[in-house]
Amino acid sequence: MDTICTDAGGARLARRFVEAVRGYARPRQVDADICFRFGGIPVLVAVRGGQVARAGIVEGPMCSWDFSLSAGAPAWERFWRPFPEAGWHDVFALAKRGEMAIEGNLQPLMANLQYVKDMAALGREAA
Amino acid sequence: MTAALEPIVGRYVTLEVAGRRCRVYFEEAGQGIPLVCLHTAGADGRQYRHMMCDEAVTSRFRVMAFDLPWHGKSYPPEGWQDEEYRLSTDLYVETVMTFCAALGLERPALIGCSIGGRIVLELAHRHSDRFRALIGVEAADYQEPWYDTSWLHRPDVHGGEVCAALVSGLVAPQSPSLHRHETLWQYMQGGPGVFRGDLYFYRVDGDLRGRLGGIRTDLCPLFLLTGEYDFSCSPQDTLRTAGSIPGAQVSIMREVGHFPMSENPGQFRQYLLPVLDQISAAPVRTQGA
Repeated sequence: MDTICTDAGGARLARRFVEAVRGYARPRQVDADICFRFGGIPVLVAVRGGQVARAGIVEGPMCSWDFSLSAGAPAWERFWRPFPEAGWHDVFALAKRGEMAIEGNLQPLMANLQYVKDMAALGREAA
Repeated sequence: MTAALEPIVGRYVTLEVAGRRCRVYFEEAGQGIPLVCLHTAGADGRQYRHMMCDEAVTSRFRVMAFDLPWHGKSYPPEGWQDEEYRLSTDLYVETVMTFCAALGLERPALIGCSIGGRIVLELAHRHSDRFRALIGVEAADYQEPWYDTSWLHRPDVHGGEVCAALVSGLVAPQSPSLHRHETLWQYMQGGPGVFRGDLYFYRVDGDLRGRLGGIRTDLCPLFLLTGEYDFSCSPQDTLRTAGSIPGAQVSIMREVGHFPMSENPGQFRQYLLPVLDQISAAPVRTQGA
């Protein structure tokens, strides 16, 4: 069942993601500021040396980031199911169906693609 | 020796393809009807290792998987260092037919996945009299691009890592972690620019829309198996393709993605074995008959 896309839904997912992403680290030289948007709610994740240094909902104007992954709350909810349905199980699957926008300077994204994909999936419910 | 050896045996053969000598590696197991296996773009024949260790297959089929030149343990042809690798439809067909001829295979069955599935359609179109049966896995006449292939080979992005990370989304979430990561490791091991070179065939040269008329599935049965989680070659792509080929037999496989034989061999065999049953039960026709 789909959830109606509201900022309330986005804010709830954003809070869940912020909670999950704090402490995320991989042995990899990644330095990037990544914006994840849940409906109208942006979350900025600052990665330094492969480790999440800061993560939080963006409160003010003029947020700067390297690249962003943006989708509505219903798309994130379907993506985060323990076993997502076909076509809702990968960020590029979402992008192909027009449910996710991947924007910005894509070089740091593509150079660290699995790192970012795994980060984006952190909100996934346990199977 | 106490360790159990797998039945897979690896050999090298030198082929003359497009006027160039290619030292090609292949693995095989089993006895019976020859079953030639074609790997996906940017990967190699290891994807078929589970089929080669499955007695339900190898008791009836001589399963043979070769690494395309430039892939796996097959070297590129001499002079490769001065060129950019690009797989074309004609080169791919010639490579497959040369391998079958070199090994003396009499009307083999053939299975191919992804680009291997696409070339299965071309083989059905050009050479249905030369095969006993054709199985296209994740096969379609065309599919919409979903990323820019220039990312696959550039100096500021690790080619193997980005290839694996891109295709990781084509593995179904239900596929066992062991098999998922073995599948991805192969992509990490590909030569520089090879995946992108394969995709030249897939995206540029091998658009088969409107070019598959006249396929004789009465002479050579055509089976198309596509995983429901494959958003690159989607079930809709395969069903559309099959709609233009009278007699093509289609199965949409649950809980698998773009690499069925490699990412979830247990699930795949549920769909493969009935196809192999049909092939092995069919009366034998001689070539050209």
